[in-house]
Amino acid sequence: MWTRKASFTFTGGISLILIGMMISNHQMMILGFAFVAFIVVNSWISGHGDVEVQRKLSADNLYKGDDLYVELLITNRSNRKTQLLEVYDNIPHEMKLRSGLNQMQLNLRPGESARIRYVLRCPLRGHYSIGPVSLRARNTFNLGVEEMYVDHHSDIVIFPQIKDIEEAFLRSRTPKMYTGATTLRTPGQGSEFYSLREYVPGDPFKNINWKAYARTGELMVNEKCRDAVTDLYILLDSRDVARIGTVLKNPLEMSCVSSASLAAFFIQRRDSVALAIYGDGLSYLPPDTGDKQYFKLLSALAGVTPKGNMPLQAVTNSLSGRFSRGSPVFIISSCEGDGTVPAAVRDLVGRGHEVTVLSPSSIDFERLVSRIPRMSYEVLKLERQNRLTTLAGSGAQVIDWMPDMDLSQALMQVRGY
Amino acid sequence: MASEVGVQSDVTMTGGVGARTLHLKLLRKQWQILALQIVATVALIAMYLEVVSTYVVGSIDHTMLFDSIELIIGDQLPLGDWLTGEGREGLGRFFVPLVLGLTIGGGMAFLAFQSPQTQQRIKLGFIITMIVMLVGRLIISWLTGMLFSFDLRLPSDSELQTLQWPLLMIMSLVILFIYLLPVIMGTRGIWGLSRRSIAWAIGFTLIFLGIHAILTFPLIKGQLGSYGAQFATLESQVSNPTIGLFGFKLVTQEQFNLIAIAILIMVFQESSYGVIRYLEYAYRLPESCKRDPEYVRQMDNLLNGHLRHTIGFLGLTAIATMVALGFHSVLLELVSNTTGSQWAGQVSESIELTLTYGLVISALMFLSLMAVMRFFIPWQRVWGLIQSRLPSNETAQDTGKEFAQIDI
Repeated sequence: MWTRKASFTFTGGISLILIGMMISNHQMMILGFAFVAFIVVNSWISGHGDVEVQRKLSADNLYKGDDLYVELLITNRSNRKTQLLEVYDNIPHEMKLRSGLNQMQLNLRPGESARIRYVLRCPLRGHYSIGPVSLRARNTFNLGVEEMYVDHHSDIVIFPQIKDIEEAFLRSRTPKMYTGATTLRTPGQGSEFYSLREYVPGDPFKNINWKAYARTGELMVNEKCRDAVTDLYILLDSRDVARIGTVLKNPLEMSCVSSASLAAFFIQRRDSVALAIYGDGLSYLPPDTGDKQYFKLLSALAGVTPKGNMPLQAVTNSLSGRFSRGSPVFIISSCEGDGTVPAAVRDLVGRGHEVTVLSPSSIDFERLVSRIPRMSYEVLKLERQNRLTTLAGSGAQVIDWMPDMDLSQALMQVRGY
Repeated sequence: MASEVGVQSDVTMTGGVGARTLHLKLLRKQWQILALQIVATVALIAMYLEVVSTYVVGSIDHTMLFDSIELIIGDQLPLGDWLTGEGREGLGRFFVPLVLGLTIGGGMAFLAFQSPQTQQRIKLGFIITMIVMLVGRLIISWLTGMLFSFDLRLPSDSELQTLQWPLLMIMSLVILFIYLLPVIMGTRGIWGLSRRSIAWAIGFTLIFLGIHAILTFPLIKGQLGSYGAQFATLESQVSNPTIGLFGFKLVTQEQFNLIAIAILIMVFQESSYGVIRYLEYAYRLPESCKRDPEYVRQMDNLLNGHLRHTIGFLGLTAIATMVALGFHSVLLELVSNTTGSQWAGQVSESIELTLTYGLVISALMFLSLMAVMRFFIPWQRVWGLIQSRLPSNETAQDTGKEFAQIDI
């Protein structure tokens, strides 16, 4: 495609030829011919040949705030030079360049390679894709330009940040519930022997007791004692109202950080963690433990977006049947715009669950982006306090989480209710 | 998939002594940049001399204007003849002013790289010098005259006479400046990296050519009377070509000079703008990239490519223009040689062909043919084949990490 310069040169050339003809002036005509010849000669060579692009990332998964190292290798596979080639690696706008540059102007010889190395900071959690790679081949004199994409994507998941949680606090309130793994006299997944039973199709071969098979002539498998883990249920509010505040500081972001941190803490103690995210719909991850569950939890949290308006009671109504008896439930919600919260909490407490409500203060988040008159702020704050007091009165532990407060510091408040 | 990713290389950690970076201070001394700037300067000088020798010398040059002014005022102008070129013949009249123009342009470029404070001081000093030169003598003689005679009065005629010299001096300088404008602005643009100045230089040249073309149009020239007769005109009818390629006589000396002007304008434009474009790119790179050997290597490739293209493609453009202008004679010669008929000879002598439109049609036909040829001849492959046959001076490919750690 011609550039503006080429168009002007060509138009100018033709105009000069015509004017030169009109006034019988050779200089104008020859100048015009030279301009047109310049365009013609330069149009012979266009494009950039066969270019191969490879991208390497330092990690596929990162935590929010971490740095991602990217290396782009561009190789000229053709037998000719690429001419002036601009390479631009498209990065998600949420990511910030920390070092280096995601573009380069190059002119590769046949078989030559060039490396573009840059570092990205990932300040926001989510599922991202780096790419495609944009190529813009220019003529040396900028007369022709061709733009194209190399459809090469690299997917990356940015997990929410994990904050340290004070173990002491969590123990102090419910010493028996959070004691970590102990064996139960029930069959299940664990490490200690429980009993022998007959083999049924689908049982892993590694569980077959070969000595018993030799003795009895029938396939027998070892059954293990279930490790007593605490099933922790996290109910995360991702309704549209959770987006109040700035991109980096809003109730949803803080909720994700706290969910991830709680999950990390409990999974490290070999407890099982379940996650229910409600907003537009309900997404439920059943309780489990281990690295795989941890990865699933973080991946689910990475993809949370604020939308919808599902009430909490709808969530508890549909899930309470699946909750293990007496297991602790964490409700992480700003409790704004949902009148069903007290009823839902009462219901859960009534079923014998240890309910903790971690509530990011949405009014204070709103203050970060818009000016709220002092009187209005005071009134709204009072309303919020009343709401939280009602929840506390229902038997839940309630934590009022301010924007500038650390998670472990916020969890300390639970003593106050 | 995640894998080992090396951090950005850094010449300060790998290159050792004399490691090159893309900092402007170093880049401005790089041979390719200097070569492009020198090419642009040579093209500017050659273009100016070519334009001047074709259109100005002996018809409307500055020495003739100075002579006329001296005749009117009945005195010599303050600028010495050695400086203005008066008394010399032909293009020699422009040699000293050309050097003066290059010096002024270079000085302006040098000034552009000084700190704003220094620039302000120099500009202020220049303005004060001009004011003092203009009215200094008048004020001193007038004030001292009033002081010694204890009289408050207007300046006398003899005191006002002191204004004549500075006014004539300034006028002479302004005239010389106008004549040298393309050279001054061009030099400032090339070495001071100013796009605007380059545009001024090219624009002024083109405007001059345009105005000259209009004034030499027979109808207007006739209206100008004896003044119009001064203008150097180019014949509308083409004489027999004397310059050519491969045995074909393509263009006349006159046409060749005009092609040279056009090509030199383009060489000047592309080289000077190219330098600015690459330096701008380097300037915008972040610090880490300026020290990255990959970026340095690619900058070398870009500059080498630009140099090659400037010579190669603009040379081809010149040849293509020459062939286009002489295409009708080539065709006729081919027909004459192959058929041996007299038809070619009759056509070549026809008035339609020697007049401009015959030439234009054949030239445009040739250029169209060349443009269409790109669809039939795989120039890319041909070019690649040539490049692959050329001796390669490939630099060693970067393998693996070049250093252990860098503070980011």
